[in-house]
Amino acid sequence: MKKIISTVSIIIASISITFAGTIHVVTTTQDTKSIAEIIGGNKVEVFAIATGYQNPHFVDPKPSYIIKLSNADLYVTLGLDLEAGWSPSLLSSSRNTKIQKGSDGYVDASVGVTLQQVPSSINRSEGDIHAFGNPHYWLDPLNGKAIARNICNGLEKISPANKEYYEANLKTFNEQIDLKMKAWSTAMAPFKGAKVIAYHNEWCYFENRFGLKIVDFMEPKPGIPPTPSQLVKIIKEVKENNIKVIITSPYFTASSSDVVSKQTGAKTLTLATSVGAFDAIKTYYDLFDYNINLLKSNLK
Amino acid sequence: MVYKNILSILIIASTVGAMAQTDSAKSDSLLLLQIQSEMQQQAPAVAAPQQRVAASANPDISVIGDFRGLYRSFGTHNADAELHEAEFSFQSVVDPYARADFFYSVGEDAKTGKFSGGIEEGYLTTLSLPWHLQLKAGRIKQDVGRVNPVHAHALPFINMPDAYVAFFGEEGLKGDGLSLSWLLPNRLFFQELTVEASSVDTESPTFERSSTNNYLYLAHLKNFWDLSSNATLELGLTAMQGENLQQKLTDIGAIDVTYKWKPVRFNTYKSVTFQNELYYSQSSFDSISSVAPALSPVTVNAIGFYSLLNVQVAKRFFLAGRYDYTNKPDDASFVRQSGTLTLGWYATEFQKIEIEGKYSAMNEAMAENNFEKSFVQANLRWIFVIGSHGAHQY
Repeated sequence: MKKIISTVSIIIASISITFAGTIHVVTTTQDTKSIAEIIGGNKVEVFAIATGYQNPHFVDPKPSYIIKLSNADLYVTLGLDLEAGWSPSLLSSSRNTKIQKGSDGYVDASVGVTLQQVPSSINRSEGDIHAFGNPHYWLDPLNGKAIARNICNGLEKISPANKEYYEANLKTFNEQIDLKMKAWSTAMAPFKGAKVIAYHNEWCYFENRFGLKIVDFMEPKPGIPPTPSQLVKIIKEVKENNIKVIITSPYFTASSSDVVSKQTGAKTLTLATSVGAFDAIKTYYDLFDYNINLLKSNLK
Repeated sequence: MVYKNILSILIIASTVGAMAQTDSAKSDSLLLLQIQSEMQQQAPAVAAPQQRVAASANPDISVIGDFRGLYRSFGTHNADAELHEAEFSFQSVVDPYARADFFYSVGEDAKTGKFSGGIEEGYLTTLSLPWHLQLKAGRIKQDVGRVNPVHAHALPFINMPDAYVAFFGEEGLKGDGLSLSWLLPNRLFFQELTVEASSVDTESPTFERSSTNNYLYLAHLKNFWDLSSNATLELGLTAMQGENLQQKLTDIGAIDVTYKWKPVRFNTYKSVTFQNELYYSQSSFDSISSVAPALSPVTVNAIGFYSLLNVQVAKRFFLAGRYDYTNKPDDASFVRQSGTLTLGWYATEFQKIEIEGKYSAMNEAMAENNFEKSFVQANLRWIFVIGSHGAHQY
């Protein structure tokens, strides 16, 4: 009996020591979670607020997230006002000084990313325009490197003793992205310049990286649901340009895309906007594997 | 943790393996060399940040307009239109230790058409207190129930619940003071305890601004559960005590229960909210307005509640139905019941139009309602926002 008690005590003690050293990371999305897990390895425990099939603009700031944030050592945001509707109120309510903006535990993953569609002026008559540029930058795998660098910097600030470990993981991640990039680019090369329609203006980074040409959007303006006149315009454009594919996201209903599909024969493809959008997408690498395979088989 | 370690080793091992394969494949086609060259060109982008929008230390500023059209089934002047309210908000972080929020409201007097303004809320919130504490100091809306802390423009109905108006007034309960909240160390579900001490802003049906040191004291416990990824339940318990209109004390106990269903994937298309709030007051009075002065102090126990069902029927349409029941805090024999139906069209996050019908029935005729025991009201509300307005609570 004494032996059992002492064994259990040793196990509990060792578990406590192990967990005491774990860095608690909260990310706003599943993509940054995946990258943080790769960079942080066994030193981190990561929780993502938004699910992979959720529109990251419109996450409900549930009080239960405050519990996670109140105990976090590192907070990773995509920034560029993407999470402006819910992230500031959660951060403020967390009462956690370690992860407030300007603190060592606050990571803006967009730092260093070359932004696209940066407006010269802001006017809401143009719909949901982002002041800093299009915020969907993680959909270019090479921007994943910038995200990883920023997360690595954040981890090194709060846990400098493990710097070499994080740097080694970062190197591995970058090499894996480079390796994968070759395969992805090769797969998409035959479709360079292929014209597509997108539901929402969230694919510009993916479009430019892989040489697609988005002709128009189902939304007449960002954030404004498709109107009958917009659908008529899209149907005309699809027919004129012989467009084969309409790209949409898991969190948009398919009703308007289906109308265009029925009228034109173009296929509606629900691409993954984030890790976890579909069961098969478990890592940041899987995100591009899934989307590129889907596009490849439908653009032929 | 052991599995995590093994997994990490496997990931590293597999990527190292992949690297070895990469080396062996360096003599690939021209296409691959082009890709490599392109990736190398991309590398400086990580190191050289792009010029972004100029930084500004100005606070987030917004103006919210609340235009209304009204109709009542009684009186000679029973239809009107008004710019009911214009709310100016200024919100920013002060320094690493606190943030500040100011809301200045200008409202129109329906009878005279004249505008008058005042600070609706203006408070400092700490960001750096230890032990998961947070302090607010300034003019605050008291943390009671689900309606009072929310600004009217963000509510899914136009007419406030009868019980809320009867107990706290049309403008709700607010005052100058301190609010200290503590995030309880409960890992299973969210719990927040708030205690407040404040002087009441203006006279409400229940409390008045005391000429002595009788402040309004409040304690609120908020409990929140994630029932599933799509459903949540909130239970709020509130107790408060303050000086009433006859310089005696009134105690109020309040319970709020809210169930929300909002599918995570399509959370912008559909949702259901079932929200309920109950107030129970116990007041000491020297006399009661409706009867002759009492010989000795009397105690009045009053109750009021509402039950709201708000259904998002499409991306831009909300339909809300509400039942109200209330006494008056100083007259438990008075009973008013109402049914309200509101249809809201949300053009964007920055504009919405609502139309509402409300039927009320009372057991006593009142001068303010032209001595009608039952009547109908219809309202139209057009809310529009310019500037950067902060998010509201869940």
